[in-house]
Amino acid sequence: MDAILVALDVLTTPTIIVVVIIGVTWGIFGGAMPGISPPIAMALLLPFTYTMDPASALILLTATYIAAEYGGSIPAILIRTPGTSAAAATLIEGYEMQRRGKGGEALGIALVASVIGAVFGLLLVIFLTEPLSRVALAFRPPAYFALGILGLSVIASLSEKSLLKGIIAALIGLMIATIGTDPVSGVVRFAFGYPELLSGVPFVLVMVGLFAVSELFEQLSIPVWEKISATRTKLKLPTWAIQKGLFRANMIGVGIGSFCGLMPGAGGTVSSFLAYNESKRFARDKASFGNGAPEGVAAPESANNCDASVSMIPLLSFGIPASTSAAVLLGGFLIHGLAPGPALFGRNPDLLYSLFTGMLMACIALPFIAFATLKLCVLLVNQPKPYLISFILVLVFSGSYSINNSIFDMSIVLGAGVLGFGMRYFGVPVLPTVLGLVLGYLIEANYRRSLVISRGDHAIFFTDPIAAAFLTIAAVFMVLSIVQAVRQHRKANNRGMPS
Amino acid sequence: MVHSLVGGRYAHAAITAALMLGSSTVAYADAGIDYPHDLVTLVTHSSAGGGGDVFLRDMIGPLSEIMGVEFVVENVVGGSGGAAIAYMAEAPADGSVIYASNPTYIFTSFLSDLDPNYTDLDPIVNVFYDPQVIFARADAPYETLEDAVSAAQEEDMVWAAGAAGALGRMAMEQLKQETGVDAAILTGEGGGETILSVLNGTADIAVGEVLELRSQLEAEEVKLLAVLTQERLAENPDLPTARELGIDVVVEKYRGLAGPAGLPDDVIAAWESAIQQLLEHPEYREMYTAASLEPAYLSNEEFRPFIDDFAASTEDFMISVGIIQE
Repeated sequence: MDAILVALDVLTTPTIIVVVIIGVTWGIFGGAMPGISPPIAMALLLPFTYTMDPASALILLTATYIAAEYGGSIPAILIRTPGTSAAAATLIEGYEMQRRGKGGEALGIALVASVIGAVFGLLLVIFLTEPLSRVALAFRPPAYFALGILGLSVIASLSEKSLLKGIIAALIGLMIATIGTDPVSGVVRFAFGYPELLSGVPFVLVMVGLFAVSELFEQLSIPVWEKISATRTKLKLPTWAIQKGLFRANMIGVGIGSFCGLMPGAGGTVSSFLAYNESKRFARDKASFGNGAPEGVAAPESANNCDASVSMIPLLSFGIPASTSAAVLLGGFLIHGLAPGPALFGRNPDLLYSLFTGMLMACIALPFIAFATLKLCVLLVNQPKPYLISFILVLVFSGSYSINNSIFDMSIVLGAGVLGFGMRYFGVPVLPTVLGLVLGYLIEANYRRSLVISRGDHAIFFTDPIAAAFLTIAAVFMVLSIVQAVRQHRKANNRGMPS
Repeated sequence: MVHSLVGGRYAHAAITAALMLGSSTVAYADAGIDYPHDLVTLVTHSSAGGGGDVFLRDMIGPLSEIMGVEFVVENVVGGSGGAAIAYMAEAPADGSVIYASNPTYIFTSFLSDLDPNYTDLDPIVNVFYDPQVIFARADAPYETLEDAVSAAQEEDMVWAAGAAGALGRMAMEQLKQETGVDAAILTGEGGGETILSVLNGTADIAVGEVLELRSQLEAEEVKLLAVLTQERLAENPDLPTARELGIDVVVEKYRGLAGPAGLPDDVIAAWESAIQQLLEHPEYREMYTAASLEPAYLSNEEFRPFIDDFAASTEDFMISVGIIQE
């Protein structure tokens, strides 16, 4: 009863409504800018929250968080540039839809999926924080390792035509992931004396290079501008019938997002890629993937938004931030003398109820504000290609420079762009590379941590029940995809033979 | 950043940021000491809201009262401190540009072949320590660090230590060497992950910072076994130091100031006097107490050998565990 009264009070407080609108708007723009990740968008707001009351301050930060996770999908879909690294999975099918003149629909699907993910995650936070916090504790290094392997098991289906090329591409990604400080011994690997590489190659820079810059190179290498499709993009929300068809993808997204959100170290990028993989694995029409499958937009967007909401659970129940964004949020709590953790629920229930209400308001406000701002974005991409390509190049490089004011970061983007263009030229798919990059560190670090704990005994991967389950599933998938590849190969051969 | 997904360092920075930026002071000029510049640039390698950034931004209010100088903070981020060291080495050595120094730039100097490196900067004074503590789950069968060490002599234990190339690892490796036990040292992404590994039983004991542990301590989920400072903490006088327990491990995560090599003596003297006054400033004291920072003023004469010792023990640690070659 208390909760309802607090919620009503919050809903009718004008300052909170203003705070929600500001947070959501800023979040969308922050997420859409290639240089500004959700935690940076939130950190930039922190100084403004000191003078606010605790509820408004936390609602402002969480509204920004939720909206920024969505905002990253806008440039991903429209210009093949992931605004946040979690949006790189949305880009795969989203940009294909845009190329086929369905960019507006892709944006609509991403928006609806984001709202579904955020609301679902929020419901989990409100009703299931206690039991779900135990799930976070159940994940030990072997389980993280197995989760990464499960993610990699999908390489075969991301490989387009040639499994061999897919594996080569994945190895490139895994190799890039080994750059930086060794997770167990602390030895610096492949940094060649550059301090910029001590903490590894930032994901988002490589993704921007592999996807956006290589795409621009590709377009520039086509001599006649008119040949590039000149379809106009119009924003379009999915109809009920389409949305119903996406239900399965949304559910895959929220399912994966909700358990990755609980685990520190997994995070939005891992969950959106896993969601993409699983939505492809369980799609009715697998052939549409790679050609602009709406499911491939819906699943990762639901996942990264659900992940964002659910990452509140370890924060509220242990005071442990499961992501960098959650760490900034933790800062927001502490400014007001509130230590999130086991005691918070007992001590400040009203604050939590108002926070939850505010988050719900942000989810409701998101589609309206997004719809208004998207018009502007759509206008931008409808410009002639030469303008657009130069604009994107400037945006991409200024964005990657702005993260650390670093020329070095710009050369990573350029290097990845050249690599991506070369891979396209030789028909090597870039997706497995991105997957290897995202999962490589998770897999390596946790493989070795597991062996530290077990003192070198590999049995730990089978005695840990979660690890054993994931590894079994991954093995089944791998065997099935090999069988399928062999069958297709035979079929193709048979057809080729003269009868 | 790939390796800071959980944001161990970042998380801590955000917490410190939150606690310390909390109050603001009105600056008024009170020309107590004649400083040779009216405007001083304070440089940090942390981004806005990070540990070093907050350290500087918090002090500039009270400090301009004390020194009669205006301050601006400049964030020279990138390259784990490498960019800031390069910037400082180029800056004029006249007291107009001062650097917030902490162990990061020494670690980075050893981890990558920096040129210039930490030897191109001169230490000025130290201001704080972030105390490192050893903790265990509240229901662990040991009450002191001694108990835990003797348990480790009997059975295989896992000790969690934050990131692989950082100060917490150094503390745990020293503890292992000092006690001669064969514990497995588990490294992770940073604070949050270390705490989870203790809570779920993956690790038996771990090293961390009081601030990160606050909510777990309040809920009595974890307990502190020892602190790795020279002397007991003012805020927690019941907690013994490792040294008192006969385990000679002292790890001091310091926060101080440095400048380009060759600073004039009057500039150093001005900072010595100003920082001593700063630590007594009532409003400032309130801020740093809330952030669990231990005031640890070291004069220039004390701070120089301190940095040399710190760098030497860092190098020893990195060589002994194979992070770098001799």
